[in-house]
Amino acid sequence: MISNALEVTDLSYRKNQKTILTDVNLQISPGKIVGLLGENGAGKTTLMRLIASVAKGERGTIAVNQATRGVERRALVSFSESLQGFRGNDKLSQIRDFYATVYPDFSAKKYLDLITFLQIDDDQKLATLSKGTREKFIIALTLSREAAVYLLDEPFSGIDSMSRKRIISSIIKWKQADATMIISDHYVTEIAALLDEVVIVKDHTICTHKSSDQIRSEFGLGIEAFYESVYGGDIHDDEL
Amino acid sequence: MQFDDKVPIYYQIKNYLYHRIVAGDLQPGEKLPAVRQLAVDLTVNVNTVQRALSEMIHEEILVSKRGRGNFVTEEPAKIAALKQRLITAYIQELYTQLHALKLSDRDIVTEIQHYIQTRGDQA
Repeated sequence: MISNALEVTDLSYRKNQKTILTDVNLQISPGKIVGLLGENGAGKTTLMRLIASVAKGERGTIAVNQATRGVERRALVSFSESLQGFRGNDKLSQIRDFYATVYPDFSAKKYLDLITFLQIDDDQKLATLSKGTREKFIIALTLSREAAVYLLDEPFSGIDSMSRKRIISSIIKWKQADATMIISDHYVTEIAALLDEVVIVKDHTICTHKSSDQIRSEFGLGIEAFYESVYGGDIHDDEL
Repeated sequence: MQFDDKVPIYYQIKNYLYHRIVAGDLQPGEKLPAVRQLAVDLTVNVNTVQRALSEMIHEEILVSKRGRGNFVTEEPAKIAALKQRLITAYIQELYTQLHALKLSDRDIVTEIQHYIQTRGDQA
């Protein structure tokens, strides 16, 4: 029996006396691409930050390849960070050097293949990037690590369709077969064909977790329609 | 290729490959592109392509050769059977629809003949 790539057990998280997540349980097996869907503020980003151990102070356990300590998880999880710790004056190649230093699993070859494929010139400064190029660069950095789990937080928000297609292709090309990937989004049509499974976050917890094929064959719905039905209340909790 | 999101993707990939094989775009004995390349070409998950191919190997439409990749079967009988299966499925669907309109079997044949004969004028 192969153990889960990710196992979240009885996870709760509060911030400033407000419940952000409660009673979250989730198991994902290795190699899957999973869509994490939910409205803004539902807790998707927080869940990712907790898995990656960027945010701390949760109750419950999070195990990545059975490792539960924060430092171990940070080594196993590649999380698409927003690059807020860098200055506009930094060249992309300097950011790459930083990643290569901090993460032993950073592959210079993968990085080079990715920025070539995504058509990014890394001699530019961070501040000069368009939104689309910035998002592509974040993807290149994130996928350049040889991680067990990749967390992509809304990688398609507000970017043009050509960039979106390139990002999707780079995910298909460069995700290792046994690596697990979680992609959060609140608009799913363009990545629907990519997803093995769908997890919907609603009311601070996971309200459903199903395989895409199960959604299509059991409910006769597309992923987007299923998501809307769950959020709109057309599908009730006891039907899930 | 455009997918219908309401139908399992692996199923649609199988159909797409069936068509290419029956139409001869993929010849008997021809090597298929690598799984990852197919996934990139179709913009789908590698796991999904793998599932479609595994089922087609099980159905003996494809043959997997260790370390060399996947190939279209070289047995004409297998391809002929597949072709017949597709034809039957399409006719069945058409027949069911026309039957639901209360057309008799004779009417259905007549309508199809009429359609084929006048098809050129409509194009």
